[in-house]
Amino acid sequence: MKSYEIIPHVADVRLQAKGASLDQLFENALEGMNRILCKDYDRFLNKHLFAKEIAITAYDTTSLLIDFLSEVLTLSHIHKAIFYSIDRLEIYGNSLNARILGVKIEKFMEDIKAVTYHEAEVRKNDEGQYETMIVFDI
Amino acid sequence: MNITKNDLKKVDEYTWKIPKSYRSDMRVPALVYATESMLDEILRDRSVEQLVNVATLPGIKKAAIVMPDAHEGYGFPIGGVAATLYPDGVISPGGIGYDINCGVRLLRSKLTLEELKPHLEKLSKHLFREIPSGVGHAGSLKLGMGKLDEVLSEGAHRLVKEGYGEEIDTHFIESYGVLKNADPSAVSDHAKKRGHDQLGTMGAGNHFVEIDRVDEIFDEKIAHAFGLSVNQIVVLIHTGSRGLGHQVATDYIRLMNQAMARYHISVPDRELACAPFSSEEGRNYFNAMAAAANFAFANRQMITYEIRKVWENILGGAGGKLSVLYDVAHNIAKVEEHTVNGRQEKVIVHRKGATRAFPPYHPELVGEYQKVGQPVIIPGSMGTASYVLVGTTKGKESFYSTCHGAGRRMSRHHAKKEIQGKQLLLNLEKEGIRIETGSVTDLSEEAPLAYKDIEDVVNVVDKIGLAKKVARLRPIVVVKG
Repeated sequence: MKSYEIIPHVADVRLQAKGASLDQLFENALEGMNRILCKDYDRFLNKHLFAKEIAITAYDTTSLLIDFLSEVLTLSHIHKAIFYSIDRLEIYGNSLNARILGVKIEKFMEDIKAVTYHEAEVRKNDEGQYETMIVFDI
Repeated sequence: MNITKNDLKKVDEYTWKIPKSYRSDMRVPALVYATESMLDEILRDRSVEQLVNVATLPGIKKAAIVMPDAHEGYGFPIGGVAATLYPDGVISPGGIGYDINCGVRLLRSKLTLEELKPHLEKLSKHLFREIPSGVGHAGSLKLGMGKLDEVLSEGAHRLVKEGYGEEIDTHFIESYGVLKNADPSAVSDHAKKRGHDQLGTMGAGNHFVEIDRVDEIFDEKIAHAFGLSVNQIVVLIHTGSRGLGHQVATDYIRLMNQAMARYHISVPDRELACAPFSSEEGRNYFNAMAAAANFAFANRQMITYEIRKVWENILGGAGGKLSVLYDVAHNIAKVEEHTVNGRQEKVIVHRKGATRAFPPYHPELVGEYQKVGQPVIIPGSMGTASYVLVGTTKGKESFYSTCHGAGRRMSRHHAKKEIQGKQLLLNLEKEGIRIETGSVTDLSEEAPLAYKDIEDVVNVVDKIGLAKKVARLRPIVVVKG
C-alpha cells in the first residue's frame, strides 16, 4: 500500500498520508507534498545539496504536521528547492526539531500557495496506522 | 450533517435563507444568492455548510452571505461575505483567503478591434515574453528589504514614484491603491523573502492578462461615464499578492489557531481561526493584510507598466494611452460603515471571492464615478466573457458586495480528462481567441467547462440588483498565468 495518495478536488489538491509511526507520517506527507511540487525532482539529486534546521511548537499533533509542512513549503519557495529528505526528526509532545535536506530545482510543476488545516486530523486508523487528509491551496 | 434544499427557505427567485435556528451555534442566518438550478449545484459541495460555519463567528452582523459563484473553500466558502462588528467582533484571515487582494484591473484603450488586428500576433507574443507567468518565475524588479517595505506601506503609489506609472492611475484603484494602516513590521521575513522578486508577475492558475473587445453595452449612460463603447479594445489583468500574501495568510492562520483559546473562541473549522479585531493578533493581522494588499495593488501597477511598454513598442504613437478604468480587490477585509438593522454601524467586511460594489454618491468613491457608482469588474474563465458592472443602492443588502467571477465547478484533474490542451487551443482559435501559455498540456485545467457559466452568475446579481450590468467583454488574446 502506498504511504500517500494524491486526490484531486474542485479547487485544490488533497493528500491522504499514512505512516506506521508519527515520524513516518511526517516523512510520507512531506514526500507527497514534494511530488505535487515537482513530480520528478529525483533528477536533480546529483546536484548541490544543502540542509536547513526547523523548530516548531504547535497546539496539537495535527497542527504540528500542518505547520511543519507549511514551514518546509515556505523554505521551498524561498530557496526554489525541494526538501526531499528528513535527516533528523525529533518529535516531543506538540513540538519538533528537524534537519531537512534540500536540492535546488529548475521549476515547480505546481504552485502550492499554502498547506491548509482544512480536513486535517491526525488519527490512528483500524490498522493501527497514523493517517490524515491534507488539503493544499493551489 | 448534509444540508439539503429542504433546509433552505426560498425568500424570492434568487435568494435562499438558512434560519438562525438551523444550528444552535449560528449567531445570524445564512443567505445564498442563486437560481434554483445553481443552488442544486452549490449544494453538491460543502459551500453552504461552510457558510453556516461562518454564521457562528463572534460579532457577525445581519447574515453570512454567499454569492452565486459560490464553491467550497477552506473555512469560508468562495463567494463569501461576512461583516463583524468593529472593533470587538473577530477578524478571520480565512475570510480573506490565501491570495490577499487577488483582484482585477481594467485598462481602456482608444483603439477598436479593426485597428488592433494587424498587430495582434506580435502584441500577444511580446506580452507573454514581458510579463512573467507560471510557477516560480521572478519579475525583472527585485526589491531589497528597504524598498519592499516602502511598497508594503505605499502600495501602487510607491511604484508610481519610482516611475512605473502616473499619479492619475492611483485615483482609479479601490482605496486609491493604498491601505494606510499597512505595517511592514507585521509581515514576517519569510513572507518578504517569498515576495521580494515577484512584483510584476502574474503567477499561475486562473491568473491572466487578456486583451478584450467590448462586445455589448447594457447601459449607455454609465458605459459613457466609464469611457466604454462597443468594439473598443480593453486590457484586463487578474492577479494578486503572490507568495507574500500566501505567507501572510499562513502565518496568521497559524497564530490565530494558537491564540483563540486565550479569547475563549472556538470555531467549527480550524481555517476559520480568528481573533477579536481589537486584540493584538487581530490588529497585527489587519495591518499585515493591508501590507500584502498594497503589494498586490503594486503588482497590478507593475504589470500595467509592462503592458504599456509592450503597447508602445509594438503600436508606437498610434496605440494611444492605456488608462486605468478601475482596479478592484476580491479577497480582502475592510472597515466600512453600513446600515445594519436600521442603524449605521462600523463593521469589518470580509470579502472572500466577492467584490466591493459601492453605490452612486458613496463618500469613498472617486469623484469621476460619484454620479454613477463604482465600476465592478468580473473576470470570466479563460475564453469566456468578462463583465463590467456598477454598484447600486440595493447593494446595501450584501454590505455593498457582489460576485467575483465564474466560480470553479470541476477539478483541474477532471477538466484535463474531459478535454486535451491541444484540442482546447484549437477550439479557442476557431472562436478567434489567441492563447499564450507556457504549457499547452496544463491549459485544459482552466477550460471553460471547468467553471460555472459567467452569464448565469452575473445575471443573478443583476436581477437582484446587487450590481447592474454595464458592458460585456469578449477575449481576443489570453496570456495565461
